[in-house]
Amino acid sequence: MAKPSHAERLELFRRMLHMRRFEEMVIRLAQAYEYTGRQHLHIGHEATGAAVAMAMRAGDKIHTTHRNHGYVIACGADPGRAFAEIMGRRDGLNGGKGGSWHLCDAERGFQSTSAMVGGSIALAAGAAFALKLAGSGNISFAHFGDGTLDEGVAYESLNIASIYELPVLFVCENNSKAGQRPSSMLAAARLQDVPAALQIHCELVDGADSDAAQIAFQKAADRVRETGKPVFIEATLERWPGSHQVKAAFPTGVTDLSLALNLDKVEGKHADWIKQSDPILRATRALIKDGVSDLVGLLEMDAKVNLLMEDARSFAEASPFPDASVAFTGVFAS
Amino acid sequence: MDESRLMNFRDAVLEALFLEMRADPNVILVGEDVGAAGGVFKQTQGLFDEFGDRRVIDTPISEPGAFGMAIGAAMSGMRPVFEVMFGDFMTLCMDQLVNQAAKVRYMSNGAARVPLVLRTTMGTGANLGPQHSQGFYAWAAHTPGLKVVIPSNAADAGGLMRAAIRDDDPVLFFEDRLLYNSSCEIASGLPIVPIGSARIVREGRDVTIIAIGRMVAFAQEAADRLAKDGVDVEIVDPRTILPLDEATIVGSVKKTHRAIVVDGAPRAYGVTGEIAATIMEQAFDWLDAPVMRIAAVNAPVPVSRSLEPLVRPDANTIENAVRAAIA
Repeated sequence: MAKPSHAERLELFRRMLHMRRFEEMVIRLAQAYEYTGRQHLHIGHEATGAAVAMAMRAGDKIHTTHRNHGYVIACGADPGRAFAEIMGRRDGLNGGKGGSWHLCDAERGFQSTSAMVGGSIALAAGAAFALKLAGSGNISFAHFGDGTLDEGVAYESLNIASIYELPVLFVCENNSKAGQRPSSMLAAARLQDVPAALQIHCELVDGADSDAAQIAFQKAADRVRETGKPVFIEATLERWPGSHQVKAAFPTGVTDLSLALNLDKVEGKHADWIKQSDPILRATRALIKDGVSDLVGLLEMDAKVNLLMEDARSFAEASPFPDASVAFTGVFAS
Repeated sequence: MDESRLMNFRDAVLEALFLEMRADPNVILVGEDVGAAGGVFKQTQGLFDEFGDRRVIDTPISEPGAFGMAIGAAMSGMRPVFEVMFGDFMTLCMDQLVNQAAKVRYMSNGAARVPLVLRTTMGTGANLGPQHSQGFYAWAAHTPGLKVVIPSNAADAGGLMRAAIRDDDPVLFFEDRLLYNSSCEIASGLPIVPIGSARIVREGRDVTIIAIGRMVAFAQEAADRLAKDGVDVEIVDPRTILPLDEATIVGSVKKTHRAIVVDGAPRAYGVTGEIAATIMEQAFDWLDAPVMRIAAVNAPVPVSRSLEPLVRPDANTIENAVRAAIA
């Protein structure tokens, strides 16, 4: 495929900023309200999530894990309704019944998100099965982390997708690193050795490099559409230091785009992550270096996103808790 | 119009599949050996020939992956019938069943739906031992979001399968293998039997037996013997345990004033306890005796022909219980 245009690169960055500012607001809301329920923030994964969302077409389906906020926002869900869902409010995307782990938005092909490791990969294969049978030309996306490959159902789903030639793009976010409390323990030398052994085409991409991710996911999605067969992409990511926080906090600070041009000013315990691994700052540098935009332009875009998130927060805060009766409805269709 | 026909349980369910697959191209059958092999109990014969490998899908021996695939297909517009060869293998599907199929409608506030049937075989009496004789319907009914069907005869099996396929929720359909060859007259067109309605199998005035699945046949046998001694037994077959037709069960007990609940699965925390408690809550003042429970003992099912009958109820246990209840 052709290299993404300036407009496409800016659109990817816009989505990444939505994702980052959304998650930062989630931290602030958690601090302000001390609501129960854990969040699994998608900070540090924005380039991958936004690239996947941009590779989706109307009618495609996606199933993700509980680390879903970024994907939901990247796909264009209303951030106010997403905040409201996380806070268990009436106007939440799922009426307050799903919460942080289960945000979904059927209108955007977001069918379900699962907090069971390995829970959604088979569902995504099933969506691909239905899309293929219907002859729609649409494809399915399965998002999961490297830990999912430890689960038997992941192996089964990859095998089934290969046997039946299902149009599904497996998106594996690998943020495990040796000596860093890895979330997967696989005897295979590389994660992709498993799908490759099952005759699935595999790709590896630096998931924090927005340009590389944009090209890789578009190419992979095109390949799935053209061949009708599955593709597996491993996106390597450096885990954000706040990934496992129990109390909501900003271990790497509130994102400051201007730091992208002043990396020597970055200090502290997590300086390496900010300097080398933050996809937002990496993208900021790349866009300026390639003349796609300048810092002023990007800061303007960022200010707009921040205002949008403030409005979204106000919407969610104004939303009441759900009517008591809905606790008992929606268990069955009839 | 055709006259009614004598048809066995296996063929009635198979006919239901033919009818529903012809009526709706979104109905697909997914499972191990369901295709060209025609099913290990010959329960899917002919479907592959008529509908082909696009709609009759043989899976690898991967229950969680294949069942998850069926759920995902259901969420995306299909109406899969997923077959688990032996009910015992449902244990392999539990995450997909409990955390996905049962929950996604609720979690998505109604946006997602799972119109799917999980059909499986079960039951004691064939010397298949501890890992091939279990019926996990009480487990299933304990999970909000799942409907649970247990037919006791061919007509209900066919009619309920048609209803299950048309239902917009996940329905678990338990088939006792020892009923597969039992036949009854089935009306022309294989009438649909609605999910959630019990059947009064036999009217009587002295005692109500509420029996599940194959236990209905044992109850009838016991009732025939008791009738010779002037004991008039009413038998109620719930047909579906979730939703449970409480009104029919309670109505019968209010008439007879005595109730015995019979189930072929283990007694502890099972269907008999649930139904007995429902009767106590809704018909306590009408009862002339405590509600009795008859169920399998809390032991695995032994394989030996001499041991297996000891762990589950039969016509004798039911007959003895009735005599004790009316004494």
